[in-house]
Amino acid sequence: MTKRLGSLVSLRRFTGTLRIARWELTRSAGGLDRRTAAFGLLVLALAGGAVAAGLAPSPGDVALDRNVYRVGVGANSPYYEVIAANGALAAKPPSADALDAGEIDVLVRDDRVLIEDSAKSRAALAAFRSATESYNDRRMRAEEDEIAAFPVGVSLTYEDRTLSSGASGSGASGSESSEAGQAAAGSDRAAGAPFESLVLAFAFLVPMNFVVQLYGSSMLGERTNRRGELLLVAPVKPTEIVAGKTLPYFLGLAGIAAVIAATVGGGIVSVAAVVPIGLCFLAATFLGSMLARSFKELTFVTIAASVFLMSYVFVPAVFTNVTPIALISPLTLVVRDLASESVSLGEYAFSTGPFYLSGLVLFVLGTGIYREEDLFTQRAVPLKFLDALGARLRRYRSVALLSTLFIPFVFIAELLGIAVLFALPIGYSLPVLFLVIATVEELGKSVHIYAGYAQNRFETGWRTALLLGALSGVGFFLGEKLTLLAQAVGLPELALGRAAFVPSGAGGIELLALALAPLALHCVTASISAFGAHRSKRGYLIGLLGAIGVHAAYNLTVVSALV
Amino acid sequence: MISVQGLSKRYGDFSAVVGSDFEVASGEVFGVVGPNGAGKTTTLKILSGLIEPSAGTATVAGYDVTEPAMRSTLGFLPEESPLYEDMTPLSYLHFFADLYDVPREVATDRIDASLSRLELEHRTRRLGDTSKGMKRKVAIARSLINDPEVLIYDEPASGLDPLTTNEVLRFVAELADEGKTVLFSAHNLYHVEDICDRVIVMIDGEVVARGTVSEIRATHGTTEYHVYTTVPVEEKTTDSSRSSGNQLDGESETDPETEADAGAGTALDDGTPNPAPPMRNGAAATTVTEEGSTERYETVVPDMAAVEELRERASAAGGEVVDIRTVEPSFEEIFLDIARPSAGAGS
Repeated sequence: MTKRLGSLVSLRRFTGTLRIARWELTRSAGGLDRRTAAFGLLVLALAGGAVAAGLAPSPGDVALDRNVYRVGVGANSPYYEVIAANGALAAKPPSADALDAGEIDVLVRDDRVLIEDSAKSRAALAAFRSATESYNDRRMRAEEDEIAAFPVGVSLTYEDRTLSSGASGSGASGSESSEAGQAAAGSDRAAGAPFESLVLAFAFLVPMNFVVQLYGSSMLGERTNRRGELLLVAPVKPTEIVAGKTLPYFLGLAGIAAVIAATVGGGIVSVAAVVPIGLCFLAATFLGSMLARSFKELTFVTIAASVFLMSYVFVPAVFTNVTPIALISPLTLVVRDLASESVSLGEYAFSTGPFYLSGLVLFVLGTGIYREEDLFTQRAVPLKFLDALGARLRRYRSVALLSTLFIPFVFIAELLGIAVLFALPIGYSLPVLFLVIATVEELGKSVHIYAGYAQNRFETGWRTALLLGALSGVGFFLGEKLTLLAQAVGLPELALGRAAFVPSGAGGIELLALALAPLALHCVTASISAFGAHRSKRGYLIGLLGAIGVHAAYNLTVVSALV
Repeated sequence: MISVQGLSKRYGDFSAVVGSDFEVASGEVFGVVGPNGAGKTTTLKILSGLIEPSAGTATVAGYDVTEPAMRSTLGFLPEESPLYEDMTPLSYLHFFADLYDVPREVATDRIDASLSRLELEHRTRRLGDTSKGMKRKVAIARSLINDPEVLIYDEPASGLDPLTTNEVLRFVAELADEGKTVLFSAHNLYHVEDICDRVIVMIDGEVVARGTVSEIRATHGTTEYHVYTTVPVEEKTTDSSRSSGNQLDGESETDPETEADAGAGTALDDGTPNPAPPMRNGAAATTVTEEGSTERYETVVPDMAAVEELRERASAAGGEVVDIRTVEPSFEEIFLDIARPSAGAGS
């Protein structure tokens, strides 16, 4: 009976969400002037047409050049298929007279290629050669035995190197070298395809910017002139309102992704990879609209989120098939999907997991301040952010939960750190990475504790501060285990990846000690920050710096010895 | 229907509402008045479930105000009319009917009835293109969409012209006649006096007066007795709690300065000190009026004992009391007396 009641309540909530979603959809559509909508659709159609015509993966097809060169070739010639597959070339009956008369530009007869002494004939010959090379490449890529199709000789040279931190190991360098060799071969092998796929993958990101602008505007509109007050007083929960207002935009993004995928030759993997990017984008915009005081501030927040997200997803995707770091971006999955490469479930989880989780956490934080007392107050963005954190601190154990929930952001920040520092020599990049990791993690463990103190949600006293620090440390430690996902894509094979996520090379008691050492570290450093936070804002900053120092020292001594 | 006990709301160090207690009976029109920043809107928002109280309890129609189910029994009208201006009145009201789970046919009938009673035209015009009065009427119609038992209206006639204000107040009174419980706040105290059965006065978050307007008047106001005699009444300097009449030839009314200073014993025209009774504002009032050709002397005293004493003195002077009129202060005057010490402290 209770179960049935629970189902009814859930159904009622879902119904409320759908009603708001339907209303949001009709209102958004009604809010657009017909001429503006028509103009927008025209622009989108033109842009889509340009993408489809210019970038669609039909090799050699350039619409403006279609059949521009005429090649005389017999139907039984091996070149006939080459010409037929290329849009710029048109197959004509092979005839020397036709060549003389200028009716054809190139003549293929008995495996010989003849041209007239004219600029057009020479250009036609160049196009014919290029088409033949492309045809051969495609044939070879289609071969099941790639080694046979692309016989590549790789020379490996093993060289000792010394890390600046003092750690060294031939195993690590050997692994790096062989990986680099394989990557180079892979890169050569896939030359052309990733770039084309990358450009096409970018097409998935463009419409998102328009959709999130509409979404952010709608969400902030609820806060303008207290318009959303009447929704809050209706028998629906804030979560239903937020879900209902978000659903049309989320489905719109998914629908657009599906249409683009169908247009550019992507599959379900492309759509599934783009959806979490859209979700994260919407979530960041939602939280931004909850924090911003005006449309001007919202524009700043959404553009900042857009630049960060676009950079985060696009730049790593450039290195598709070069390094596993590229998999920090879901767009890499799109590039691979467009290049007809397979994507494993582990890779999908690694690439999209942080986006799904970050999106959900951002929605959770934003929904916490979707209430009268916060929705219509005008406070500076940083203070509103502290309000959003404080709203989720109902009990002391909420501190541990928030520390766990921050893991996706910490994960993303650390992955970004790896991606940025990847190009530097390991001797420089490793210490910097350790400092970055310490900063990001200490911030993630303490900012909500400071928010709680700033809003008088905790009892004063150093004992409470230490308790909060310990809770935060435990929560963070447990959440950190999520980073084991990095194992799924071979990131620990890289020295930076090992430094950031998985201390290896230990076993037995040593392993147990190493497993518990981070727990002690997180509890101690979070307590240092919490102790500072319980005194004042200045105290928090001093405590945070102290905690970062301790954490960085730990990384430089304990972790670097294992990398 | 509404029960409030020890209700408090704090924002950091600021207390918006401090330990409010009151009850509103079913079918009652209950007014909440007070200067800006007195905690009226905060109280109404707590009762609407918009704001969580910091302490105390409040129930509406049997539900705790923190229960979502309470909202189905309630119609709330905020001080502003924040409508979705790209919608029409009909689409707006149907959307809210949908949210409140009102069946389509019922909603259509209810919307039609409400808008007809409110004499709302242009039902399919965009709300952004309608007047403030029309928007207010749509907002009122929205508050009735779920046929609520309790209506909480914050300044229902705020910013409206006198004609629309009158229509809105008449409508609110009709709703109460139909059995709905109405809790509303207003700055215009004549409106409150006109339609409220009972009232609370809030100052700095606290309820400082409560009851019917008459009860509040009796508790906080002073009735003045205007006594008219045929002769000037002889002074009685030994009793400072009484006033004496005085003929002021050639003057139709008391000089304000003289009136203000009378309490301090300033000499009048005949040079005699004129002690005044402790009237409201500390001033005595003595004027001469003419009705026909008869001169009458008016003396204002605070109670019937003073009237009787005045009668005796008039008789002793060879005259008589020809008329006694009582003047009660308006609710606005009482409110100003209560609120004045803290006026300007609120926002």
